[in-house]
Amino acid sequence: MPEASLSAPASRPRTCSKISAVLLPLLSALVWILAWQFAVWWFSISPVLAPAPSQVISILFSAEIHNLASHGLYTGLEATAGFILALVLGLGLALTISRYGWLRDMIYPYLIGFQVVPKLALAPLFVLWFGIGLTSRVAFASFICFFPIVIAGIAGLCSISPSIIQMCRSVGASEAQILYQVRLPSAIRYIFAGMKIAATMSIIGVVIAEFISADKGLGYLILFASSNANTPIVVTSIVLLCVIGLLLYGSVAIAEKRFLARYAG
Amino acid sequence: MARWQLPRNDSWHAMLASKAVSPAGVKILRWIGMRSSSSRRIVLPLLLAGLLLLAWQLLMTFHKVNPIVLPGPGAVFDSLRQNLPFLSVQGYYTVQTSLVALLISSAIGISAGIILIISRRLKDAVFPNIVFFELIPKIALAPLFVIWFGTGIELRIAFAVFLSVFPVLLATMAGLTATDPSVLRLCRALNASVLQTFFLVRLPYAAPFIFSGIKVGSTMAMIGVVIAEFLTGNTGLGYMIMFAATNLETSLMLSSILLLCIFGMALFWGVEFVERLLAKKYEAPVA
Repeated sequence: MPEASLSAPASRPRTCSKISAVLLPLLSALVWILAWQFAVWWFSISPVLAPAPSQVISILFSAEIHNLASHGLYTGLEATAGFILALVLGLGLALTISRYGWLRDMIYPYLIGFQVVPKLALAPLFVLWFGIGLTSRVAFASFICFFPIVIAGIAGLCSISPSIIQMCRSVGASEAQILYQVRLPSAIRYIFAGMKIAATMSIIGVVIAEFISADKGLGYLILFASSNANTPIVVTSIVLLCVIGLLLYGSVAIAEKRFLARYAG
Repeated sequence: MARWQLPRNDSWHAMLASKAVSPAGVKILRWIGMRSSSSRRIVLPLLLAGLLLLAWQLLMTFHKVNPIVLPGPGAVFDSLRQNLPFLSVQGYYTVQTSLVALLISSAIGISAGIILIISRRLKDAVFPNIVFFELIPKIALAPLFVIWFGTGIELRIAFAVFLSVFPVLLATMAGLTATDPSVLRLCRALNASVLQTFFLVRLPYAAPFIFSGIKVGSTMAMIGVVIAEFLTGNTGLGYMIMFAATNLETSLMLSSILLLCIFGMALFWGVEFVERLLAKKYEAPVA
């Protein structure tokens, strides 16, 4: 049976696509890095403009890494704290809102509206309200990642069809039983989808708050090094930020797998 | 009488049956407790906004909060009214830059998405890297962009394009692979050429996806411009917010943020408006 020329992912042999699915991305990333290295070397680009990958790697293996790692640890902890705070508040609000229809009608338009506005512009306000310390950065990070969690939570808790809820009621299930045994398990996928977005957002929130005021953390280090034209440190800090972001995202993804296997498998 | 039907909720029944509230109160409570209606969906959010404003004003009157920390709603409104001409000009700069960036990233994102869909090997090679890029905190690259593009309008556009191109690209790819397979079979049966199939079937099918990507991109583009204005710049609402924050003019900052939120929504709804126009013209259902 002929397949469409432009689509049909299933049309190619399995084994080939499996190997290429792993190898090709790595290969293309490698090609990019090598091309970058080569370009820096060939055109003798100043390290201020674009440090070579080798330079970044040499910083990662030098004594400088202790300093970078301590900043990174600080940023990572702030982001995690903000994320957990947003998770608690977000799920709490989602549970409350999905319980009372009038509350949902009252608040939901604002939650959606906040998705559209540039929330990151509110960072200076948080610095003003919570000071230049750790509190403002954690508060801002949790503010930023609060919205995806709430919206995903509401979507998940309301996703179950009303007839199933009616059936549960008709066999005498209490509201608590319905919540724990029906609504929450069916919402897990949604909630984790929101948490995955929030994991990335919390790091962005912390970095922006650190841009504005901080004396520690990778965001501070990036801004400080860039004003000293120390671009290799900037790029290395960004690499570390990516690692932190992937760690946070990865732990959410692993938690999702565990939860799904246990409650929705 | 169906409109006044009580919701299936015991606490409401109990409250209404207990006669603890006056008849007028019963009517209001019934209205609040009834099933979602369009009037309720408009009135309740407005009610919340009104309550919040009232609480804000009461807090100001009774607690003597320092106006630097939180000015009253009246002060913010005054500042907005006084500075509106100036702030709108700044907002115009921000929106204009965001719009240019959004157009560029739509062009790049859609064409790159089409190329990646056509060449499967290229897609296999690049797609995981694009997903990786979606996971990392791209905003942290802003100081690098300052080094590369200086402090002018090039920086803002480049950074905004960098942030907003990925949603468009991913949405385009998702849309182009979402065509109904039976429609594609029909095209083949009717001997449609690859190009005909692409432009007359696959692209229109992908349009709702692409537009949802552009809508996400519009928010990201605005964020990119504002962040770039935070870091360097002497125009735009992002600069105004930073300027007001460093001068502790909180009411100016709040009115700038308010205006930025309004402009952000306007950009978003503008994209939606274009989508509706196109959908009407080509008689496609809006997803």
